[in-house]
Amino acid sequence: MPRQQGAGFALSQRQAAVILLVPFLTVYAVFLIYPFFKGVWISLHDWNLMAVAFNPDAKSYVGLRNYERVMWGHNITWGALASPGFQIIGLIGILASALLYRAGRAGKVTALAMGLAALLLFVLPGFHPGEGGRWYDRRFWPTVGNTILFVGLAVPGVTITAMLLAAALDGETRAKAVLRTLFFLSQVLSVTVVTLIWQIMFSPRQGLIANLTELFGGSPIVWLTAEGFAMAAIVIATIWWSLGIAMILFLAGIQDISKDLYEAGALDNATGAKAFWYITLPNLKRTITVVVVLQIILHFQVFGQSHLMTGGGPNDTTQVLVRYIYQTAFRDSELGRASAMAVFLFVIMGGFSILQFVLGREKDE
Amino acid sequence: MNRSYYWLILGLSVPAFIWLVPTIWMVSLSFQPNDVLARTTSSTALGLIPIPFTADNYIALFRFGQVPMWFLNSLIVSVGMTLAVLAVSTTAGYALARLDFPLKGPVIVLCLMGLMVPEQAVFIPLYTMFADWGWHNSHHALILPRVAVPIGVFLMMQFFKAIPKDIEEAARIDGVGWLQIFWYVMLPLARPAMMTLAILTFLYAWNDYLWPLVSAQQREYFTITLGLASIQSNFAQAEGLGRVMASGVIASLPVVVLFLIFQRYVVRAMTAGGTKG
Repeated sequence: MPRQQGAGFALSQRQAAVILLVPFLTVYAVFLIYPFFKGVWISLHDWNLMAVAFNPDAKSYVGLRNYERVMWGHNITWGALASPGFQIIGLIGILASALLYRAGRAGKVTALAMGLAALLLFVLPGFHPGEGGRWYDRRFWPTVGNTILFVGLAVPGVTITAMLLAAALDGETRAKAVLRTLFFLSQVLSVTVVTLIWQIMFSPRQGLIANLTELFGGSPIVWLTAEGFAMAAIVIATIWWSLGIAMILFLAGIQDISKDLYEAGALDNATGAKAFWYITLPNLKRTITVVVVLQIILHFQVFGQSHLMTGGGPNDTTQVLVRYIYQTAFRDSELGRASAMAVFLFVIMGGFSILQFVLGREKDE
Repeated sequence: MNRSYYWLILGLSVPAFIWLVPTIWMVSLSFQPNDVLARTTSSTALGLIPIPFTADNYIALFRFGQVPMWFLNSLIVSVGMTLAVLAVSTTAGYALARLDFPLKGPVIVLCLMGLMVPEQAVFIPLYTMFADWGWHNSHHALILPRVAVPIGVFLMMQFFKAIPKDIEEAARIDGVGWLQIFWYVMLPLARPAMMTLAILTFLYAWNDYLWPLVSAQQREYFTITLGLASIQSNFAQAEGLGRVMASGVIASLPVVVLFLIFQRYVVRAMTAGGTKG
């Protein structure tokens, strides 16, 4: 046992707790809580980065004007099918979540969250400028739309690939362990290494993909600067990069499924793909939800892929929310407007974090 | 092992190889001469085998240029951040898990709420704060914001909660103080959790891009991740493709080695960080 303390020096539990908590709470208060509220405060000001840097008084309180200038416009109206693509998906989503809940295929929280997201997808894109109207910031909502599109492509891509791989690679053999390692490896690389690799992979002159197409007599695609291909390119790079975590979560989920189920299934001739469809998939429902929510949070914050591979282009088709915040703040020096967008991002992320937390709680019980 | 098993492994080896191709290609290009690469990137087997071979790119990297400095910056920032996160997380995690004090519930909730705040929601105010204090372009400016993220506190708190109470009680009966129990009894037990947290933090620090991009404007304070971003936009012209690829390999080496040695911890760390933060 360590040195004995004289009774007179012994700290009470309360004193010990204070000593142990102070370092973290200080850092936490100064570098997270305070900046968070300061961010909200900045969003209520007309705040130019350069002007305020030279003269701290060069900012003025404008209330919610920044939010209006970012999200609203002149003469905005709402139409049920103003943006049919998103809105129909939203309608289908509302119906699907109700049906899944009625059929008992989705839990209450899952159905509620799905329904809410679908409702937003139906309502939000319905706003559009009426006659003679315009958005104050005509780039903001398209940027949000691009971000959602990116999430909508990357999340199913990662989830489905990861789930199939996990089902195939579950097992204790050496060969499977090696294969798991190979598929996980790209996950530890930094975003700048990933974009470096894929920029040159996609390059029409030097890229491996272009070399391959030429080998087969095709003409190379100008991936990163062609509208329609640029988004696909950053989604492909992202799936390649972030498959690992999802695969590991699915492996853990699959290992939780009782082996008896598979043995019973084998008696009914359910092996291989059949076993996957009738046994693995239904028992992975919770893991799928967790992985999907986690991926949404992760990919909604996409920045590096867009910033480095396409520069948001061509024609803003890969411009995403975090990059727009970054540019508004540090290229245009408009900290007030950028902060309003950051608060918008926080509200969305916060919603998904709460959902993630609730789902995690359900699992523990 | 039956035949269908071998077919499965064989069938999966093909996608696994394809999955590896981009990485192999980066390594292979880094070992080819720049004048050859300027003409073609597919000299041998689509460029996947480095023939003609040269190590000049790596030699050039370490003799000229800023890559070694950026690498050192990354090392300082990553190790510094890891130590700082371990220090504040183990202490606070222990106090929240095992000690009784007033307002404990509210403090836990307060910390929990911090998990909801994404980096992108605070990077603008952090920028103005650090600018006011003249902190930008320094190592501590790159370290401190992440130390405030409560994910480590929660990982440690969960770990300490799972340790049986009698260990502590035995020590209390012997008259050992709380801080001594923390230091001599709890910390040694917490080594696996600390290892997981350390790897999670190191990977995050090494790979972080957005905050260094905002905070470090002088090239002398770039991390390797940021430096790599700064040279990739004009790679073919300035330094040669081979050398840029060599920088990418150097930038990846520490995390890949870490991954191959501590695979179990890395996987656990990344999933813990992913699902809870």
